[in-house]
Amino acid sequence: MEKERKLMNSSLLNEMSRRSFVKLLTAGGAAAMLHGGLLTPKAFAGPAKTAGGCKAFHSACQRNCYDTCAMLSYVDDGVLKYVEGDKQSTFTNGGLCVKGYSYPRRVYSPDRIKYPMKQIGRGTGNWKRISWEEAIDSICDKILSIKKEDGHLLGLALDKNSGSEGITNCAVIQGLFTGLGYTTRFEGSNCWPAGYDAQYFDFGDMVCNDPEDLANAGYIILWGVNPAWTSIHTMKFIYAAKERGAKVVCIDPVLTQTAAKCDEYLAPKMGTDGALALGMARHILDLGLADRGWVADNALGFPEFEQYLREKVTVQWAAEETGIPAETIARIAEEFAKAKPATVWIGYGLQRHTNGGRAVRSIDALVAMTGNVGKKGGGARYGQEFTWDFEYWPKSKMSPPAGSIGFVNPAKQKPGEPTVYSNRSLNRNQAAREMRKADPKIRMLWVSCSNPMSQYPNRNEMEKMYRGLDMLVVVDQFFTQTAELADIVLPTTTQFEEWQVNVSYWHYWLAINEQCIEPLFEAKPNTVISALVSKRMNELSPGSCTYQQDLTPKECMIRNFNDTIHKLNGISSWEDLLKGPVKAKRNPVSWAEGKFKTPSGKYEFLSAKAAEYGHPALPEYHSRRPNHDKFVVLTPHTKFGLHSQFINLDWMRDFNPEPCVYINPNSARSKNIVSGDMVRVYNKFGEVAVKAQVTDNVPEDTLLMYEAWFKNEKFNVQNVLDDAVADMGAYQFGGHRGPAIQEQFANVEKM
Amino acid sequence: MQESQHEAQTLASLRDFFIAQDGAELEAAVGRLPEDLKSAVPAVPDWDAAEFDFNRFFVGPRILAAPPYASVYLSPEPQVMGEAALEARRIYAALGLQSPFDARLPDDHLSLELDALRIMQGVLSHTPSEPLKELRDCFVHEHLNVWVPLFARRVRMVAPEHTIIRFMADAVERCVESVAESKGRF
Repeated sequence: MEKERKLMNSSLLNEMSRRSFVKLLTAGGAAAMLHGGLLTPKAFAGPAKTAGGCKAFHSACQRNCYDTCAMLSYVDDGVLKYVEGDKQSTFTNGGLCVKGYSYPRRVYSPDRIKYPMKQIGRGTGNWKRISWEEAIDSICDKILSIKKEDGHLLGLALDKNSGSEGITNCAVIQGLFTGLGYTTRFEGSNCWPAGYDAQYFDFGDMVCNDPEDLANAGYIILWGVNPAWTSIHTMKFIYAAKERGAKVVCIDPVLTQTAAKCDEYLAPKMGTDGALALGMARHILDLGLADRGWVADNALGFPEFEQYLREKVTVQWAAEETGIPAETIARIAEEFAKAKPATVWIGYGLQRHTNGGRAVRSIDALVAMTGNVGKKGGGARYGQEFTWDFEYWPKSKMSPPAGSIGFVNPAKQKPGEPTVYSNRSLNRNQAAREMRKADPKIRMLWVSCSNPMSQYPNRNEMEKMYRGLDMLVVVDQFFTQTAELADIVLPTTTQFEEWQVNVSYWHYWLAINEQCIEPLFEAKPNTVISALVSKRMNELSPGSCTYQQDLTPKECMIRNFNDTIHKLNGISSWEDLLKGPVKAKRNPVSWAEGKFKTPSGKYEFLSAKAAEYGHPALPEYHSRRPNHDKFVVLTPHTKFGLHSQFINLDWMRDFNPEPCVYINPNSARSKNIVSGDMVRVYNKFGEVAVKAQVTDNVPEDTLLMYEAWFKNEKFNVQNVLDDAVADMGAYQFGGHRGPAIQEQFANVEKM
Repeated sequence: MQESQHEAQTLASLRDFFIAQDGAELEAAVGRLPEDLKSAVPAVPDWDAAEFDFNRFFVGPRILAAPPYASVYLSPEPQVMGEAALEARRIYAALGLQSPFDARLPDDHLSLELDALRIMQGVLSHTPSEPLKELRDCFVHEHLNVWVPLFARRVRMVAPEHTIIRFMADAVERCVESVAESKGRF
C-alpha cells in the first residue's frame, strides 16, 4: 500500500497522561486487566516526544569494498533515520554509493532474520523458533559429541569470509574456533590472491599509492576495473586528473560504465591482458623509452626481461593474441611511456584467471620499466594492507585447550620430534572439492560473514557436500541461499547495532563505527555470539574452550587498538576517532624511497621467489586454459549489490528487478534469441534459467551475468562456474591459489 | 456472554496467537477463543505443521509472507520501525504503558497493538472517559483499522482456506472492524 497517511494527532496523545489513565484503571477496578497481557506499566510517561532531534553518530561501512566509507548515521528516538557520507574523510567526501544510501532499508527490512531458528529437515523450509539458549546448547552438544567420537575437532569447520569486515569480526569468530581446539578452516581468498602474490614477487609487498593521488597522474590506465560501479569515490580523483589534462584509458573485455567515461577503450580477448602488457613493453623497449636509469638503480633482472621481450614478444604477436590492433598497442604504449607520471590501476577481475598472476606481473613490469614506481601520480596500484595492523584480539593471543589434537602437516613434522598440531586449512576457492576429499570428513560447519552457496563455484557439488553435513550453522542478517540449507540460523547485527572499527584496502582512512541503535529483535553481534558459545562449552565441559566468556563489542573494539595503529594514524587513543575519521600519516606515494621488500631489496623483474613457487622467474606470458564450451562466461559485480548483499532490498530492486544474461547481437541472432526471451545458460556443471538482454557492450564470444542474489529467485551464476584456480596465490595465502572465476565457459539456448 | 467480555476474550486470544513462539502456544491461544468462534476453527491435525506455517507467514527466517507490523503497511515504503511504530509507542506511553520488549520487537507488532486496544476497551467498559474514547477511536480509525485489513488481505493471498492461519487473520480483521463500527458503544 502506498498511502500518505495522516499521523495521529500528537496533541491528542499529550492530553491523555499517565496519571489520568491510572486513575481510570483503579476507578473501575480494571487494573487486573494488565495481568496476563503484554503491555506493562511505564516507569515514567511524560508528554509524547516530538520528532526532529536527530543525533549523529560516526559509522563505517563494513562491506569490504574499495571505498569503505566513513559515514554519519542519524538517529531519532532510537530509530535510524538516514545516513550520509562523512565529509571529514576526503576520500568519502560526504557521499555514499547507491547501496550505502539504502542502509536504513537493510536495518529495517521486514526480511531480516529476527530470532534463532532451527530447521526440521535440511532444506524443508520447516522452521521452528528457538531461544538463544537452546541454539547454543544444540551447537555445543554437537561440538562436544564430535570431539568425543573423533578424539579431535577437525570435523568442525569454519567458513568466515569478508561479508561483514569489521576488524573485531576478524578476531572474534576465528578466535572462538581457536578457543575450541584445532579445527578445519576454509581459507585463502576469493578476491585477489593471484595479483597479491604477483606484487609480492615483484615488490616484496603490496602497497598502492593513496588513491587520492590519482589526481596527480598524467596518464591513467584502468585495467580490468570498473570504478564507476565498484569504487565510485575514486572517480572524482580520476576526473580531477582528466581536468588537468591526463588521458584515461580503460582496458576491459566489456564496455562498462567506466569505459564509457574514458578517453579510450580497449577490449582484449578474455585472459590476454598479460600479452597486451608485454606487447606494450616490447614497443617501449624498441622506442628506447624504458627508464634505464630508474631500472639500473632500483631493479633486478631487467636485462633478462629485456632478452625475453626481444626473443619472445612482438607487438604483432600481442595483436594476434589480444585482438587489439598492433597500431593501437604501439600508440598506447608510447603514450604511457612518455606521459610522466603514468599509472595503472590493476583490477581484481583481470587476475581471476588461470594466468592472472602472470598478467599482473606483466603490468607491474610495464609500470616499473617506464620509471613510474615510487612516483607521485604513478604506480602499479592494486591494494594495501598496511592500515590493517590491529591487534586482532583475542584471536592473536589465544591457544587451543591443552591436549588438543589437530592436523599434522607431513611437510613440517620432523621425525622424532614432538608432534606439532595445527588447524586443517582448506582452499575456499575449491570448497566442494576440498570437502569431498577431506579425511577426516567435515561433519559440522559454521558459516559467518559468508554466503558460500551464492558465492562459491560449482554450486551443485557444493549443495551435495552441504547436505552431507551433520550440522550447518549459519550466522546472518538475511535468509540467503546458504541459510536455506542450515540446521540453525542465528541472527546477527548490522554495523549500526554494534561497535566496530574499519579500514580499507585501498584508501588510507580509519573510521570508528559507533553503535547508534539497539539490536533489533534478538540479533547479536559476533562478539557476543562467540562469548555465549564459549561460556556454554565450559559449563558443559570445563576447559573445553579458551575463548573469552564475557566480552562486549565495545571492549573488543577498544582492545584491538595498539601502538602501531595509534602511531600510523596520529591518534593517542580510539576515542580520538569519535571526532571523526583520520588518515594514515604515511607518504601517499608507495615505494618512494625505493626500499623494496624483495630478497634483493630491489624491484624484481627476475624473481627467485616466483621460481620457488613453480612460476617462471620472469613475467612470461602463458595462455589461459582453452574453452570447454562455446562462450566465455563473465560474472562481474553489479553497481546495485556487493556480491549477495543489497540486491535483495526493495530500493535496489526498483533499479535492478531481475537478473539477465547479456548477449552480443551477433551471438543472439545465431541462437534466435531476442531481448526478453527466457534462456538457459548451461554447461556440464549445471544451468541457469535467466532472461536475455541483447547488447553490443559485450563481445561476441561472451555471455555476461552479474553475480548477485535476488530474493525469491533461484538464479545463481555459480551453477555454471567451475572451481578452476588461478596460477598464483599459494605464496601469501597458505598454499591456496586464487579463483579463476572470470575464466569460465558455457553455451546458451532459448527455452 | 456479554459483548464486552466476548470482545476482550477474542482480543486476548488473537494477541496471544500472533506472538506465539511454538505450536503449543498457538494451540493454547486458539483454545482461549470464545466458544462460538472456537467451534468454527478449522481442524488442525498437526500443530507442528501449523507452527511451520505460522513462522513462514509471520516470523522467519525466510522472507515473511505477511509481516505483522503496522509500519510495513502504513509507511510509504514497507519497513519495520517506521513512523507507525513510534506512533504506537507514543500511544502506549500516553496510557502509561510500554512494550516489555524494548527494541527487540517493534512497538507496532500486531499483538502489542491488540493488547493496547484490549486494555482501552476494558477500561472504557468500566469507566467512561471522553479523552480515552477519543484516543481509542483515533487509534482504531487512523491506525489499526487501516493496516489490519491489508495484513489480512496479504494472508488471504497466500494461505489456503480452512487453515488456522487464514482463520485467525480473518478473525482479527473482523474484530478490529467490529470495534471500528461500534464507535459510540463506549
